[in-house]
Amino acid sequence: MNEKQEERVRPSEENYTHNISKPNERKLDRRSFMKTMVGAAGVFAVSTLPWGAMAAKELAGFGGKTYPKTKIADVSAVPVNGSVDFHYPSDHVSAMLIRLGENEWRAYQNACTHLKCPVLWSGEERRLVCPCHHGFFDVKTGAPTAGPPKRPLPEIELSFENGEIYATGVKRYEA
Amino acid sequence: MKRSALPVIALCVVLLLNIVCTQYAVNTFFYEKYDLTLLFTLANLILFPLSIVIYRRGSRS
Repeated sequence: MNEKQEERVRPSEENYTHNISKPNERKLDRRSFMKTMVGAAGVFAVSTLPWGAMAAKELAGFGGKTYPKTKIADVSAVPVNGSVDFHYPSDHVSAMLIRLGENEWRAYQNACTHLKCPVLWSGEERRLVCPCHHGFFDVKTGAPTAGPPKRPLPEIELSFENGEIYATGVKRYEA
Repeated sequence: MKRSALPVIALCVVLLLNIVCTQYAVNTFFYEKYDLTLLFTLANLILFPLSIVIYRRGSRS
């Protein structure tokens, strides 16, 4: 037996399990592959835990979601078919108010439900457009009408006082 | 004795179900269907010990 063959079969002091090497041996054997699969299953199980915990919190009534009443704009400042950008309920969440008619208004959080690109109002087409992946939303319901988005845009509740428009809450999904 | 591919395939199926349940859990959370979110979270939590059982039986054979 030459020196190279001796080195190959001589185990190191710490390695008691993988100390036989054959030519063309797989690096990932059957047992290691199955261990990897089990580990991946464990990772997915752990990753769902926060979602389950938050859902349980909401169901138990500890959600405690309160929305501030925030002024968006004056009624006279928004033309028919026009839109106003604002943030609601916090500065990190962008939203849009759209005036469809003399007394017809809609407001939505305008992060696209596909991959959160900002959704724009197209007055000519009378619909909401996401330019990133050509997603389209119906302005009256916020529901996706074409493209990759599957969930509707969250609608913002409005109230009108003394010629001013206020955002008062975010509607729950009705689906 | 030739080793069975069944445990390996079974683990692949379990992983596929894990991915599907995780996806559904997140989607139903954003749809505010919290009861379904809990259901899919529990399904994921059941699939992990199942994968361990399949692994132990597969490695024994």
